[in-house]
Amino acid sequence: MTHLPIVYVVDDDDSMRAALADLLASVNLQARCFSSTRQFLDSYNDEAPACLVLDVRMPGQSGLDFHRQMAGLGLRLPTVFISGHGDIATGVQAMKNGAIEFLTKPFRDQELLDAIQNGIETDRTRRVEESMRAALYDRWNSLSAGEQDVVRLVVCGLLNKQVADQLHVSEITVKVRRASAMRKLETETLTDLVRLAQKLGM
Amino acid sequence: MRPWQQSRELLALGGCAVIMAAIFVADTLTQYAVAVAVFYTLVILAAVRWLAARTVVALAGVSVSLTVLSFCLTPHGDYELGMINSGISILAIAVTTYLALKMAVAQTAAQQAQAQLLRLARISSLGELTASIAHEVNQPLAAIVTSGNACQRWLAQEPPNLDKAQQALARMLGDADRASNIVLRVRGLTKRELPRKIAFDLNVAVQEIVALSDSELERYGISLSLSLDPAMPWVLADRVQIQQVIGNLLLNAMESLAARPEGSREISIVSAGAGRDSATLSIADSGIGLPAGVGDGLFEAFWTSKDGGIGLGLTISRNIIEANSGMIRAEAAPGGGAVFTFSVPVTKAVPA
Repeated sequence: MTHLPIVYVVDDDDSMRAALADLLASVNLQARCFSSTRQFLDSYNDEAPACLVLDVRMPGQSGLDFHRQMAGLGLRLPTVFISGHGDIATGVQAMKNGAIEFLTKPFRDQELLDAIQNGIETDRTRRVEESMRAALYDRWNSLSAGEQDVVRLVVCGLLNKQVADQLHVSEITVKVRRASAMRKLETETLTDLVRLAQKLGM
Repeated sequence: MRPWQQSRELLALGGCAVIMAAIFVADTLTQYAVAVAVFYTLVILAAVRWLAARTVVALAGVSVSLTVLSFCLTPHGDYELGMINSGISILAIAVTTYLALKMAVAQTAAQQAQAQLLRLARISSLGELTASIAHEVNQPLAAIVTSGNACQRWLAQEPPNLDKAQQALARMLGDADRASNIVLRVRGLTKRELPRKIAFDLNVAVQEIVALSDSELERYGISLSLSLDPAMPWVLADRVQIQQVIGNLLLNAMESLAARPEGSREISIVSAGAGRDSATLSIADSGIGLPAGVGDGLFEAFWTSKDGGIGLGLTISRNIIEANSGMIRAEAAPGGGAVFTFSVPVTKAVPA
């Protein structure tokens, strides 16, 4: 999980792409450049923490339109807009749609780099959370059906005896299943178990 | 055709039918001597506003038929008088239809001509052109800035990465060339074709542009005074080009007034030329005035005092005026603000 971050750059202007890639290289960030959103989509996979630098005005699909569609495509990439026209309406629109920054060309390099760093951090956090949640689900799924039933009732605050009554099994069985589930879920106390259940959305 | 338009036409058609039926009943029941049928012309006049020409002609046909039918059905009165009355009614319907249709055609043509003129006059404001030129020039500039930043960072490294810095510089030179080519292309744009000179009344040309700007003047609470030389000889110039210049100067004047409070926004247009070789037109505003010491730099390409302006309006205006053998100059107005004055040659021969 120590992937190097990637900055995706989508701008239709060749010089601008080359200049951006070079600027990013000068601060040790790897850039991948595309001249259209389509090209970007064909190549993107969620392999490393990343940030998207998106031009607003491009032939074909505009950056703004693409940004609006990103959520629908399952892309949660933090996005920094760069625009040739600094009109306020477009900027407001972009920020409303969740962009992290809207910069007017020509922009101060430090502003862009700061925004990109922020974006990469946000994405890194998202990726860590997502992988933790995935691991958690894996652990939960390693429980037998009987163990899952016991955990569901225990986290509701029921005592072993009450759980046994509800599930029509002996109290001993409940105790065994409960201990086994806690071991598999790597939890030590009831509090841990409750917290974990919350994360699983129970 | 859109549905609402269709339903509006159907409504109009229905209205016409009801009125025509009423006229028919009245015409049939009254004596021959009462020429109710003439009122069909009102239906035609109303119909021409709402309905297609073909439908109007059809309505006229129906009106004529109904007039004849009423004549046959009317039981009493002087038969000969009825004959004459019906004849006159039919003639009136026919003539009204013809004139109404011609009028509608003329109105459409006038509207189109006005739209065309408005478009031509507004080209001088260069709004759209400006935006796209600005974008074109800005792209290489933005790339230059970014490459420059990268170059600085390569040089600041320890040890400096000279190879990378060199590459960045090469890119910057390339982009600078690109920007300068765009500027050259724009210069080419402002070179006009030879003007098509005709003799025309400058006063009328001014009034046309003022009429087009009326709603804007009103919206911004600008009071405009026109003082046109009644003995103005006709001028020899490209009428459309001169109107572009007038439109541009007027627009500049209006924009310079934006910072003034309402009530002190004034523009005055003065034309003069009686007994001289050239006619002059001055457009003075009570706006922010000219920056001190700018002089003729005002007319240089890319000089602008407006946020978001590109500074081509006055350059193009001067090119046009000079191509039309005239001169243009800018001065400070006596009461603050600016006066732009241009001259164009007058013509001795005034065509009929």
